[in-house]
Amino acid sequence: MTADSTGTGTGASSRRDVLLAGAGLAGGALSGCLTRVDGDVGDGLSGSIAIAGSSTVFPLMSAMAEEFRREHPDVSIDISRTGSGGGFSNFFCVGDTDFNNASREIQPEEEELCASNRVEPVEIRVATDALTVIVNNEAGFVDCVTVEELQQIWGPDAVSRWSQVRDDWPDAEIQRYGAAETSGTFDYFSMAINGEEGAHTSDYQATERDNDIVTGVTGNQYAMGYFGFSYYYSNPEQVTALQVDHEGGGCVGPSLDAAAAGEYTPLSRPLFTYAAKDALAREPVAEFARFVVEQSGRQELVADAIGYVPLNDEQQAEQRDTVEKAIEEVQQ
Amino acid sequence: MATETTSRDDFGEVSQLRGLLFEYLSLGASVVGILALALLLVYVTIDAFGLWNADDAWLLAYVAAFAFPAVGFLLYAADDPRVTRQSGLALVGGLVGFFALFRGLEALGMGVPRLSWPLAYIFGVLVPVTGYVGYAAYQRPAGAVGIGLLGRVAGGLGLAVAVTSVFVIADVYRWFLVFTLGIAPAAAIYAAGRVRASRPLTYLAVPVALLGAAAGFVLREFLVVYPRQWLIYALTLGVPVAVAVAALVWRRRGERSAAAVAVGLVAVVTTLGYVSGMVGLSRAAVVLLLLTVAVPVGLQIDRVLSHGRGSVGLLFPVVLVAGALAGTVLVDLLAATGPSPWLDWSYVTNPPSTTIADDAGLYPAIVGSIFIITIVALLSFALGVGTAVFLEDYTPDTGPLATVTRLIQINISNLAGVPSVVYGLLGLGLFVNLLGLGFGTVVVAAVTLSLLILPIVIISAQEAIRSVPDDMRQASYGLGATRWQTTKNVVLPESLPGILTGTILSLGRAIGETAPLIMIGAPTTVFAPPEGLLARTSAMPMQIYAWAALPQQDFRYGVVAAGVVTLLVVLIGLNATAILVRNRYERSDG
Repeated sequence: MTADSTGTGTGASSRRDVLLAGAGLAGGALSGCLTRVDGDVGDGLSGSIAIAGSSTVFPLMSAMAEEFRREHPDVSIDISRTGSGGGFSNFFCVGDTDFNNASREIQPEEEELCASNRVEPVEIRVATDALTVIVNNEAGFVDCVTVEELQQIWGPDAVSRWSQVRDDWPDAEIQRYGAAETSGTFDYFSMAINGEEGAHTSDYQATERDNDIVTGVTGNQYAMGYFGFSYYYSNPEQVTALQVDHEGGGCVGPSLDAAAAGEYTPLSRPLFTYAAKDALAREPVAEFARFVVEQSGRQELVADAIGYVPLNDEQQAEQRDTVEKAIEEVQQ
Repeated sequence: MATETTSRDDFGEVSQLRGLLFEYLSLGASVVGILALALLLVYVTIDAFGLWNADDAWLLAYVAAFAFPAVGFLLYAADDPRVTRQSGLALVGGLVGFFALFRGLEALGMGVPRLSWPLAYIFGVLVPVTGYVGYAAYQRPAGAVGIGLLGRVAGGLGLAVAVTSVFVIADVYRWFLVFTLGIAPAAAIYAAGRVRASRPLTYLAVPVALLGAAAGFVLREFLVVYPRQWLIYALTLGVPVAVAVAALVWRRRGERSAAAVAVGLVAVVTTLGYVSGMVGLSRAAVVLLLLTVAVPVGLQIDRVLSHGRGSVGLLFPVVLVAGALAGTVLVDLLAATGPSPWLDWSYVTNPPSTTIADDAGLYPAIVGSIFIITIVALLSFALGVGTAVFLEDYTPDTGPLATVTRLIQINISNLAGVPSVVYGLLGLGLFVNLLGLGFGTVVVAAVTLSLLILPIVIISAQEAIRSVPDDMRQASYGLGATRWQTTKNVVLPESLPGILTGTILSLGRAIGETAPLIMIGAPTTVFAPPEGLLARTSAMPMQIYAWAALPQQDFRYGVVAAGVVTLLVVLIGLNATAILVRNRYERSDG
């Protein structure tokens, strides 16, 4: 039909109009090609959730957000890595974000800032981070160390031989493998063991790859290393984890239970996310808060995929109560 | 000519040592710089495409079946014995040389990590030689035709991707309404006005366009029935393309063929689009590919055939496709393991992941980056060129205003050196906290980045405007032109290439900036592309930064490298577009 109409036009403009009309007609003729565009499909839950805060908690929250989006594809979630403090002071306490991740508890000044902007933080514990000190499987002479001994081995004035720490240990050189200075694990370990961030021997193999630490420790009978709990949790047979004796409280090995119960000190710390109470009035935010609590007990996600210690049932129930109570208060 | 003869007796001996030393130092510096950069890019590419996993046999099979014929064709097209001799020597010598070098290193126990000798050969010899030969071939008809054809295919594919990503952001249904109610009627009225030489009619086009566009925006909220997406493409993109092609054909072959081509084009695109749906292809993709790739390629082929020159060049794409197929067959026969690339289709279309490296994608960040950089380009170009024109041509040389201008000038020069993180803080304080535009939103990111590059854009635009000879302005004034007419018709066209060069370089910097985005709280991870100016968005460097800090090795090497390569590709795409625009202006006005 369009081919016929081309011959009839006289001027260029009318020809163009005819062509346009022809194309439109052709489009119409091919239709059944119309489509109905309605609003949201999906499960009805939609909205946006803004999260900022600690870079330590970032991978965990990011993974949870990923899972959440699979169930509720219309909810848009964005996560910023601003550090715990930066998140609190720049975004959360100003009222810009719904959640703030933190690898420590909120500080009094931050609470004041939040209060002055009428933001009420609701603390939700999401996981526990546990550092694991490992030795070679053949190093049968040691299975438990005290914090003071770890200090001797990893402190700024570190000893060089095992026998210098304990007399009955072999007279062999200690091969040390640990986190690189850029890593948060380095800060945390030096803080927990030596009482000051960055107070750490420089006589060690620094790497950010857990794999390299394992390779080093498995290759030498007199080696020692430390890294996040995750790698040991998924590969417990390659190396031996040392028990740690904190202030004479007895030897405790790193395990999900011990870390969760707070017995594995000083190498375990709680990780948090803080929800803005008013934001919980919005359904997607409340739903996500519930989801976070639910997921914080899941081993496949928290331990296997990310490498933190999941909450135990009791802790999880506690967090659930906190969240439900907060939601109930604002949603009335 | 007045010549003066001077005695050369007192000239004496002049040492050439310093000059030579300077020359070789400069050469050495540039070689070190380029080599360092090249090595970095090579490693990033190897990681992004997982090339170090590939068998040597796999690499060699593709070199033999794909790369050598391509270089061979280019050598034939270049038709220059010197080029042929040099490239042949480099190709064969490089093969032997790298093989011997790597075997020697292995014998000494000093293997190079992640770099096998075929890889070193490909990046060290094959790629540069292909570039060199390609350049030589480009000077002759056959090679130029081949490369031009390839360029059009690549450019068309890029355009298709760009159109798709624009419609992801910009709601294709709204575009349909705006086009149908605003753009199309306005274009028709304007064309009619030009044909009848009626000024009022051409002026009418503007309000019609504005009103129609506004009506489209309003209607979008109520109307729920639309043509399917591929039909929208066929109508809103196909019809303008058909009109443009018809205009071209009209000039070459006259009215009748122009009409036939236009109608035929629309008919073919719609029919093929419809048919492709029945065989299970994506109709929208087929329509887009036809419009962006097939049409320009067809025009190019038509031109080559009608001129009858260099038609052998049309074989080049055939050589490439046949080579790729032959390589695939060869690899199958050898049962060689190929690379496992991180940068694949799913990487470009998936949302990010922080748990499963294989699922990780950059899609929302790519769209976010393009969205941001488009606004940055518009803002910084308009503001930068405006300021530069004002400072150069509109301010007096004396008086109080001149002093103020000098102050502004000094400030601009200093601002160009302010660290980007400070601009980030400015963005946080001014746009986020004071104006309340929302942290990490597209508009805040775009405005902050625009401010960051504005001083550089202004300074380079000023240089370009200053380099326009004053004689031209005086001549224009002498003909009775006003200052505005002189600026519009003489100064701007003359300085545009220079202005664009500065703008392009600045945009390249803006798209890779991370620090200011961190400061304004742009999310490091979002799972969906931004849907408006006030939506929070991530950008490619932010997502790369987030992945680089993850403990898993797969993320820190593979996924991050793929991100870097994607960022570079988008950057090169942007630059290429801008350079094309610039060259066009240089040609038509130079």
